[in-house]
Amino acid sequence: MWRSPLHSLTVYAVTGLMLLPIVWMVGTSVKPPIEYVSAEVDLFPDSVTLEHYRELIEDDIAGKVLNSLIVALGSTLVALLAGFPAAYALVRLSFPKQLDLAFLLFVLLIKLAPPLVLAIPLYQVLRSLGLLDTLAGLILVYQVYTLPFAIWMLLGFVRDVSISYEEAARIDGAGLLQRLATIVLPIMTPGLVATAIFLMILSWNEFAYALLFVQTPSKFTLPTYIATLITEDETFWGRLAAIGFLASLPILAMVGVIQSALLRSFGGGLK
Amino acid sequence: MHSPRYLSLLMLAPALCLLALLTVYPLGRSLLLSFFATEYGFEGASFVGTENYTYLFDDSFFRTATWNTVAFTLMATVSEVALGLMLALMVTRSFPGRWAVIPALVAPYVLSTMVVTAIWSAWFHYDFGFLNNALRAAALPPVEWLFDPDLAMISLVLVDLWQTAPLTFLILLAGMQAIPLEVYEAARIDGASPKQILITITLPLLLPHIMLAALLRSIDSFKIFDKVYALTGGGPGQATETLSMFVYRLGFRFFDVGLASAAAVIMVIVAGLLAALYARNIIRSGSDVA
Repeated sequence: MWRSPLHSLTVYAVTGLMLLPIVWMVGTSVKPPIEYVSAEVDLFPDSVTLEHYRELIEDDIAGKVLNSLIVALGSTLVALLAGFPAAYALVRLSFPKQLDLAFLLFVLLIKLAPPLVLAIPLYQVLRSLGLLDTLAGLILVYQVYTLPFAIWMLLGFVRDVSISYEEAARIDGAGLLQRLATIVLPIMTPGLVATAIFLMILSWNEFAYALLFVQTPSKFTLPTYIATLITEDETFWGRLAAIGFLASLPILAMVGVIQSALLRSFGGGLK
Repeated sequence: MHSPRYLSLLMLAPALCLLALLTVYPLGRSLLLSFFATEYGFEGASFVGTENYTYLFDDSFFRTATWNTVAFTLMATVSEVALGLMLALMVTRSFPGRWAVIPALVAPYVLSTMVVTAIWSAWFHYDFGFLNNALRAAALPPVEWLFDPDLAMISLVLVDLWQTAPLTFLILLAGMQAIPLEVYEAARIDGASPKQILITITLPLLLPHIMLAALLRSIDSFKIFDKVYALTGGGPGQATETLSMFVYRLGFRFFDVGLASAAAVIMVIVAGLLAALYARNIIRSGSDVA
């Protein structure tokens, strides 16, 4: 129908327009301030500087990256460790049918609840556990997001493991743990990896709880650190762009994987 | 498979305990606190019955925040579904470079909201921001994107649109790919024009996906906090204060925990209704998307 050069050109133009803010970010991260504090439309730098990246290193950016990594890996690990057995039990083990559905609905409702609604009582939970202002506390509260997500996503992957393999192994005398280790987990590896990627991105990007539950600047994750830069001075753009680019790099590298996983999940069953 | 019931419970136990501690207990606690007048430290609470709720219903700040949230949710959802639909229609057919265009269009969605906010806070700057520079280059007057009370909310919608239209785009693209090609061929043989095909075939068959995208986006827009916090702080005045921001201000700035809890409970009820609609859709369609 519209398979014309004109159509292709339109698509490229629209895609370029959508990418403009990202292009601006990358360009600004290597511009000297004199270039971006100007009233001219200018995406690309005339002279390239690495001063913003150098400033970030001096400002202990490595510490913030490390905090973000610890929290992302920790909350992913906890969510998988608690979520996988739950998903497996819900799919494979004997449950009254209604209980099964009720639990799923409950998980879904939590997944959709506004994070701020839970913030005040969670503050008290963390305080009474002595976990306020700690990364461990963040890992714990991030389960509000990550655990329902993990259960929901892993359910689909457990269902995809053919039950006949497991039946055969059971008849050969393999116990549950053995079956999980030798059959279910190996078959599910791609699914586990995809789930882990989504969980890590979720935690890597989270802002509200990191803002509310961590006050010490040395324990800030990247999003809270960026937020202080946004509000601190209105034209710290070089640094802001540099940190934004650094924080986005690992995620943008995976955008292909994410896009195809999402496309597949939205296509399934909704006909 | 036959396994003893205790085993199932054992495997569910870690998840159940975590969710109980992190969601059931806090929700119950919020409900309880919403009937008390409390101060910072959460001690010395005194029971006030439904006073917090009656106060909120008369409070002009709460009403404005509610209205702002509804306005934001409607504007964001409609514009995001519309843009997502246009993008999906644009790339549904093959063209050179399609394999690169789709991930490129999805890129804004995977960025951290704080990174997105950082970019746009610079773009909205009055003197040196990209948008006003572009307006000046086109000989148009510059605009107070975040400081004009009539415009600030629309600016927030613009940021949200840029960040999340890729999600509605993916949902709708998946939907279009699920429509069998024979349907289109039959229509073309019958002499239907592209416009007729769009209106009588694509859109009706796509309706479940449009609903899914709209519900997902309205649930998320209803919670909006990060962008408001970092871009406008709820201002100018109260022009962009949403319900999440209202709860934050009350609970974490003024430490009026009882009142904040009552507002949170009202939010839970509304979010719960939206979520129930969504759950009904999901369970009926058997999709594993959440």
